[in-house]
Amino acid sequence: MAAPLKSFAARRALLSLATLALVGALALAAWLGAAALRPVGLYTGWLLLGLVLLLAFFNARKKLPFLPLLNAGTWLQLHVYAGWLTCFVFALHTGARLPGGRLEFLLWLCFIVVAASGVSGLWLSRWLPPRLARSGESLIYERIPLLRHRLETEAKALVHQAEAETKSTTLADFYLRELGGYFARSPALLAPLAGDDADYHRVKLELAALRRFLNEREAALADQLGELLEAKRNLDAQRAGQRLLKLWLFVHIPLTYGLLVLIGAHVWLVLHYSHRL
Amino acid sequence: MARSTSSAPHYPGSTAPQAPAKRAAAPERWDKPFSADMGETDVDLLLAHPLFISTQPGRFPASIPLRGILKNDARLRRFQKGEIIVRQGDYGHSAFVILDGAARVFLKEPTAEQLGHRRQVRPTVWGSFKRWLQRPRFAEQTTNRRSAAGLQMTRDGEARIFLQDVPGVLEPDRTALLGPGEMFGEIAALGRTPRTATIVADGDTQMLEIRWQGLREIRKYSPEWKQQIDQRYRERSLRRHLAETALFWNLSDEALGLIADATRFETFGEFDWHRAYNREREAGERERLEQEPLIAREGDYPNGLLLVRSGFARVSSRYNHGERTESYLGKGEAFGLGELVAGWRGKFRPLRHSLRALGYVDVLFIPTAVLEQHVFPQLTPEQLAVLTKDLAPASAAPQPDHTGNSFLEFIVAGRFINGRAAMLIDLDRCTRCDDCVRACAATHDNNPRFIRHGPESGGVMVASACMHCVDPVCMIGCPTGAIHRESINGQVEINPDTCIGCSVCAQSCPYGTIQMVALHDDAGLPVVTEETGEPIRRATKCDLCIDQPAGPACVNACPHDALLRADMRSFDDLNRWLRR
Repeated sequence: MAAPLKSFAARRALLSLATLALVGALALAAWLGAAALRPVGLYTGWLLLGLVLLLAFFNARKKLPFLPLLNAGTWLQLHVYAGWLTCFVFALHTGARLPGGRLEFLLWLCFIVVAASGVSGLWLSRWLPPRLARSGESLIYERIPLLRHRLETEAKALVHQAEAETKSTTLADFYLRELGGYFARSPALLAPLAGDDADYHRVKLELAALRRFLNEREAALADQLGELLEAKRNLDAQRAGQRLLKLWLFVHIPLTYGLLVLIGAHVWLVLHYSHRL
Repeated sequence: MARSTSSAPHYPGSTAPQAPAKRAAAPERWDKPFSADMGETDVDLLLAHPLFISTQPGRFPASIPLRGILKNDARLRRFQKGEIIVRQGDYGHSAFVILDGAARVFLKEPTAEQLGHRRQVRPTVWGSFKRWLQRPRFAEQTTNRRSAAGLQMTRDGEARIFLQDVPGVLEPDRTALLGPGEMFGEIAALGRTPRTATIVADGDTQMLEIRWQGLREIRKYSPEWKQQIDQRYRERSLRRHLAETALFWNLSDEALGLIADATRFETFGEFDWHRAYNREREAGERERLEQEPLIAREGDYPNGLLLVRSGFARVSSRYNHGERTESYLGKGEAFGLGELVAGWRGKFRPLRHSLRALGYVDVLFIPTAVLEQHVFPQLTPEQLAVLTKDLAPASAAPQPDHTGNSFLEFIVAGRFINGRAAMLIDLDRCTRCDDCVRACAATHDNNPRFIRHGPESGGVMVASACMHCVDPVCMIGCPTGAIHRESINGQVEINPDTCIGCSVCAQSCPYGTIQMVALHDDAGLPVVTEETGEPIRRATKCDLCIDQPAGPACVNACPHDALLRADMRSFDDLNRWLRR
C-alpha cells in the first residue's frame, strides 16, 4: 500500500513555503538585474515561456498513461504551485501594468482568464467533492439522464397505481400540478454554488400537506413518491456538481492552446523587432 | 417450501423492487450432480474398489448415504499422457484418487509456457509505448486470437490442457510417480488453498474426482478416510503452516511436531460462501451477523488457541442490545491468545470477544495444555507483556477511527476485507473527472476494466474493480485455468488465450467485477462462432496493469490523490490513508 507519509496540510505548507522562497529569490534577482541594467524583461519572458510550457505539459501527460513519468497527483501539485509562480513571473514580466498593443492586450487577457479559470477550478475541485459525497449516492454522470427517466417513469407508475387502486385523483392532480414538472426539470448551471435545492423542499412540503386528503394506501404510495423525490434531489445535485466540475476545463484547456499560439506570435514579434531573428 | 428469488439491490430509479417475486422450489443438496454420466454401475464398482472396501456405509446418515455421495459428488475421469490434472497455484474444489494408471508430480515446476500460462515478461516503457501506438480502434478488438499452447477442446465442449514438450519435461529426476490408490488435491480442496504442485497424467489414467462437499462428508463419517486425510495434512502442510506462525518461531522441531499432533482441524461456514453472500447482502446487518457461524463465544472459558488457516473471521463484542465489530482475522492470525496467557499466569480471563466465520473459515485448534507445556514457557517477558496488555475489559463505547466504527462494519459486512488491492476512492477528493477510467481504457484494449461506481461508506467508495482477493473464489472451477494468480506479485489475471468465455469466474465473483465482453473485428463488428453465430466473449477484469512499467494506470492517472489500491488486511494503513 502506498500510503503517503505526509498529510495534505503538511504537503501544502511545504510546497507553499518552497514557492514563496522561489518568489522571493526571483524578486531579488529581478531587482538586482534591473539595478545592473540587464534585460530583465527578456529573461522573465523566457522563464515565463518555460513555465507555461511546463504547465501545459500536464494535459499531455494525462494522455500518455503508460509513461513512468511521475504520477498525475505529483503533476497536479507541480501544476498548482508552478502556476502560482507563473502568475508572479507574469506580474514581473508585465510590470503589473496593462499592455498597450492589441496583441499584447489579447495575450494579457488570455493569460488572466486561463489563470483565473485555473484558480477557480482548483477551488471547485476542493470545495465541491465533499458536498457531492454528502448529498447521496455517487452517480456516473453519463448515466444520470437514464436514471432521471427511470425516476419519472416510476413516479408516473405510482400515481397511476394510486388512482387505479383508490379511485382518488389527489396524487394524480398533484403530479400534474407539481411533480411532473419537478421530475422533468434540470438543475441550473450554478445551482451547486447557490446551494439550490429550494425546489425540492417546496415540492416535498406540498406533498406532506396533501396527507390530510389521502387514505392509508395513498399515504403509503405518497411515501414512495417522497423517496423518489429524494432520489431526484440527489440526481440534480450530482448532475449540477459534476457538470460544474467538468465545465471549467472547457474554458481552461482551449484557452491554454490559444495562449500558446499568442505566446508564439509574441515571441516572434519581440525577437523580430529586437533584431535577434 | 417456496421462496422468493428476487434479491436485486435498489438503486435510485431502479424498477427492481416492483418486479413480482419469482417462486421456485427450495434447492436440494444434490440438485446438480458433479457429473450426469455417473451411473449406478460405476458406483457399485467404486464401492467394491479397495478404496472403499473398508469404508462402512452404515456410518453415514440416511440423508447422506455413501452411495449418494459417490453418485452425486464424484465423477470418473480419463486423462491422456501429458494432460495436466492439477497445476501449482490454481485453486480447485476437488480431490483426485488414481484408480488405474499413473501420474507424475513435479518436484521442480515446469515453465509457465509449458503449463499453458503466459510468459511473465518484465514490462518496458518502449513496449508499452508500442502497444499504445498500436492500440485498437474498437473495444476488445481482435483479429488474430492466438490459440493457447496445449489447450484442446473435446467434442462435448470440455476444455483440456496438455503439458508442452512432454518427453523433455517428464524426466524421472524432475518428477515423482504416483500410482493406483494414491490421493492428491484434498488439502487444496478442503482448505481452499492453492494447489501446491503440478500433477500430470503419465499415460492413460483413470481418476476418481471427488468434489469438496463429498470429500467433507466422507472425512466426517469415515474414520479411515479422516485419519488418512488428516495424517497427510499433518505431514505435508500443517508443520509448515505452524512453522510460519510467529508464535512458534522459537520452538524446536520436536515441540512443533508435538503441537502438530495435538492440533485439531475445524471448518466453519459454507465453502461456496459467495452464493450465500449474494443471497443475504440485502439482509440487515443484525440478521447477517446472526447467520454467521459462531466459532467462539464472548465470556466462554478459553480452552485452546484458534489459528485461522484460511478465510476470514469477525471479532465482535456485545454492545448493549447489539454486537459491534472490533476487528477481523485472516490467515495466520490467532484468537484467544491473550486470555490463555493470562490464565497460564494465574489470572483467569474469559474470552473478551466472539469469533464468527465470515464465509468459509478453516481453523486450527491447539489445546491449552499443549501451549502451556511447550509454547508459553518459551515466550520472553516482552512478548508476554505485549500479549496481555490489552486484557482490560472492552470499553463500553465504540473506538472511533477517522470514519467512525461504521467503516469497519461496512468493509466487514461487504467482505471487502478479502481484497489485496481493492480500489478505494476518497469521494471528498474525487472530482469525478474519469481520468482513471480513461487511463485504464488506454492501457487495456480501449475497454476500461472497472466501473467507477460501487458501495460507499463515510465518503469512501469501493469501486467495482477486481480486488485480487486473498480468497479468490473466481478461480474455483475455471475449466482451463485461464484465471490464475501471478507468482510475482500475486495479481489475479486472465490469460486471454486460454479463456473460453464460459463465464464461470464472472458468475462466481461475489463482487461482480468480472465482465464478459464480446470480441470485435477490425470493422468493429462482433466476432461470432462458426457453429451458432453467437458472439465470442471472454472474461475481462482489472489486472493491476501487470504489463505496465509504471504500475496501475488508474492510480497514476488520478491527479487528486483520491484513488488507492488498498490491501484491506491492513486496517491501520487504511486509516492512515483516510486521515491524510
